[in-house]
Amino acid sequence: MSQNLARAFQPEEHDLWSPVAPAERRHIEAVLPRDQRKARPRIIYALTASAGMAAIVIAQLLLSVGISQGAYEISTLQASQVELGRTAESLSEDLVKVSSPQNLAANAAALGMVSNSNPAYLRLSDGAVLGAPGAAAGTPEARSGAAGLVPNALLAGVPLVTDLPPAGAQGTGISGKGANGRAADAPATPAAAPAPAPAAPPSGLPSPTTH
Amino acid sequence: MPPINTATGSATSARRRVFATVVVLFLVVTVFVIKLVDIQVVRADTLSADSLGNRSVEQTVYGARGDILGSNGDVLAGTVMRYDITISPRNAGEFTRTTDAGTVKVTVAQAAAEIGAVTGQTGDEILAIIASALAGNAKSDFAYVAKKVNVDVFRAVGELNIPWIYFKKNPSRVYPNGAVAGNIVGFVSGAGEPQAGLEIGQDSCLASTDGVETYEKGADGVRIPGSTVTASQVVDGGDVITTIDTDLQWYAQQVLADQAQATGAAWGTVVVQEVKTGNLVAVADYPSVDPNYVSGTEPADRGSRAFTDSFEPGSTFKSLTAASVLDSGKASLKTGVIAPFRYLPERGGNINDSHGHDDEKLTMTGVLIESSNTGMAKFGEMLSDKQRYDYMKKFGVGTVTEAGFPREDSGILHPYQKWDPQTAYATMFGQGLTTTALQVSSLYQTIANDGVRQPVRLVEGCRQADGTVQHKTPSTGSRVISADAAHDTSDILEMVYKNSWVAKKWEIPGYRVAAKTGTAQMPNGKGGYSRGYLVSVSGFAPADDPKYVVSVSLADPVKMNTSAAPAPVFQKVMSQALKKYRAVPSGTPAPDLPANW
Repeated sequence: MSQNLARAFQPEEHDLWSPVAPAERRHIEAVLPRDQRKARPRIIYALTASAGMAAIVIAQLLLSVGISQGAYEISTLQASQVELGRTAESLSEDLVKVSSPQNLAANAAALGMVSNSNPAYLRLSDGAVLGAPGAAAGTPEARSGAAGLVPNALLAGVPLVTDLPPAGAQGTGISGKGANGRAADAPATPAAAPAPAPAAPPSGLPSPTTH
Repeated sequence: MPPINTATGSATSARRRVFATVVVLFLVVTVFVIKLVDIQVVRADTLSADSLGNRSVEQTVYGARGDILGSNGDVLAGTVMRYDITISPRNAGEFTRTTDAGTVKVTVAQAAAEIGAVTGQTGDEILAIIASALAGNAKSDFAYVAKKVNVDVFRAVGELNIPWIYFKKNPSRVYPNGAVAGNIVGFVSGAGEPQAGLEIGQDSCLASTDGVETYEKGADGVRIPGSTVTASQVVDGGDVITTIDTDLQWYAQQVLADQAQATGAAWGTVVVQEVKTGNLVAVADYPSVDPNYVSGTEPADRGSRAFTDSFEPGSTFKSLTAASVLDSGKASLKTGVIAPFRYLPERGGNINDSHGHDDEKLTMTGVLIESSNTGMAKFGEMLSDKQRYDYMKKFGVGTVTEAGFPREDSGILHPYQKWDPQTAYATMFGQGLTTTALQVSSLYQTIANDGVRQPVRLVEGCRQADGTVQHKTPSTGSRVISADAAHDTSDILEMVYKNSWVAKKWEIPGYRVAAKTGTAQMPNGKGGYSRGYLVSVSGFAPADDPKYVVSVSLADPVKMNTSAAPAPVFQKVMSQALKKYRAVPSGTPAPDLPANW
């Protein structure tokens, strides 16, 4: 090694005497080994950098695999969200429809209910009766007239409670709705035998025995 | 190692390395250039065509038109998503379907029958759609099979997996309560354009703006996360909150329709107004449109006559004259006049009562109970024409109400300077001028509310997506007559309620009620009068603490051409309003005023 150093000076002397270009290059080349010696520990840095890059590349790869995996999951979930949203919208539409006054009044009338146009009140503090109580007339006129004077095209095909099969015969309404919510739209004909008008409500409500 | 060898060797190898590097670089660049030219020039068209469909997808995000809500939040008009089923006729052909039993071939006829079974058409009808589309254009790529089907049908057709069936979203309007408040809510056209009622009147609140967004998708059609770009923001419409009580509205419509049919009336209206607030709780029209099925109603019956038609009010208007005279102090409850059958005033005119009678000594109470035109004329002439005109204006006659209903009528009230003597007298008992049902209701609201007229309110406001309510309608009242004059008029009307010839028909046991009947001739559309009458009843209850005004009109009830026709409607609707809102009768005794002197 010391020899190398000694020789390294020789070209420099030559250089002084005969300045030749190759000699100059040789001089530069000769410095390299010293650098090499210094560079040797830098391999660690190179390795670290390479490993880091590899790690980044791998991480990136895994991340994008993860993201695209997530994309499929998101896509599936979004699709099911859309479907569920449609179901929810459809069901609430049905609910709002059957909550319409026409439907409620028609069902109440079908169950034999009449409206009393003689409002009266009982004051709890002293038991006083306010207003003039009177029995509701059970005549058809008292049932606020004939049905269907206020039409609702949406209610076509919606059965009255008295036309529905008794609960239990066909499963509950909710489980029956499971399949696209179509079960309730199709009144089950086998059980829809023409029930006598004042029959007990099929929903199991207690039917009054006195009037 | 010999030093010189090393030096020259490394120099040579360096040169070689540089050379090699340059060559490799050149080769790489060449490869790149070739590839670039290939992609950018040679295959450019093909690739960009391929990418167009794959790269980014643009889709419309539908904004929902706002709902029209009742005062309790019931949906009177709402938006739902519907689907149009379309086909590509030129692609309609046999296809294979994978089932549990393996793949099977499905012919066009089979597929058409399957679609028809779901949509309620026959297979032949669908084949005819395909055939006619192809007949018009052999390369036809688009035809409608069914429009606006609901989610169930949409799913059922989707499950058929027919490759040449496509769906289009079509947001539609639905009116869950049908004809309940259909006269007020109005309706939209098939294309979603507002056509009538609040749909037009409140369109600026209800209207939505569709948005556009684009996203990138992979080769398999899956949306690439984070690639969504909103090109234009979707804006949902606001909700219009009305003052209408859906249940009471239904009841009023039902009772009105029942009585109108029983009496053979051409049409009728019922207005229920809350006394303290001026809110319209129900505005019923007969006939009334079902917005879900507009074509089922005659075009003339698709609006609300309560808002858009004005007629001579007749005797219900006498309450206004009485209130004006009492407020001016020109007469009191004890003032008496002599009411003849025929009265010929000095300034001109000829006033008759509806039936012959001897001269009667009537107080104002007596005049209203008898509904005497001559008696009313004698009280009315205590005020100048200008004074009465000013009172009418303050009561809202001749002015469109604050309800904000589209095409609302103002009624006709000519300036008092243009009144001839006959008109001047006629306006005292509700002729020679016209009012809408709303204006009559507002008149009684003013009397019931201690003389303070509240603005007529149909819409509470426009509720935005963030829950704030904007464009609130005014609710500050204005005094028209003194509280004393209002109470005196109310007492008179209570006497009318008790002693009128229709007292049995409008009696609400237990309650104190103030009401007045009216019978007015109707124009025949040619400048004269027809034989029909507009019979009406207006009033409020409980008279000791008024809560609701009910005003009923029936046009030309041929089977019962008197105020007896609307009286039962008044009785039922008022009872229902009192019952529904728990207006408890106080039990205080009604006043007893003398009718004669």
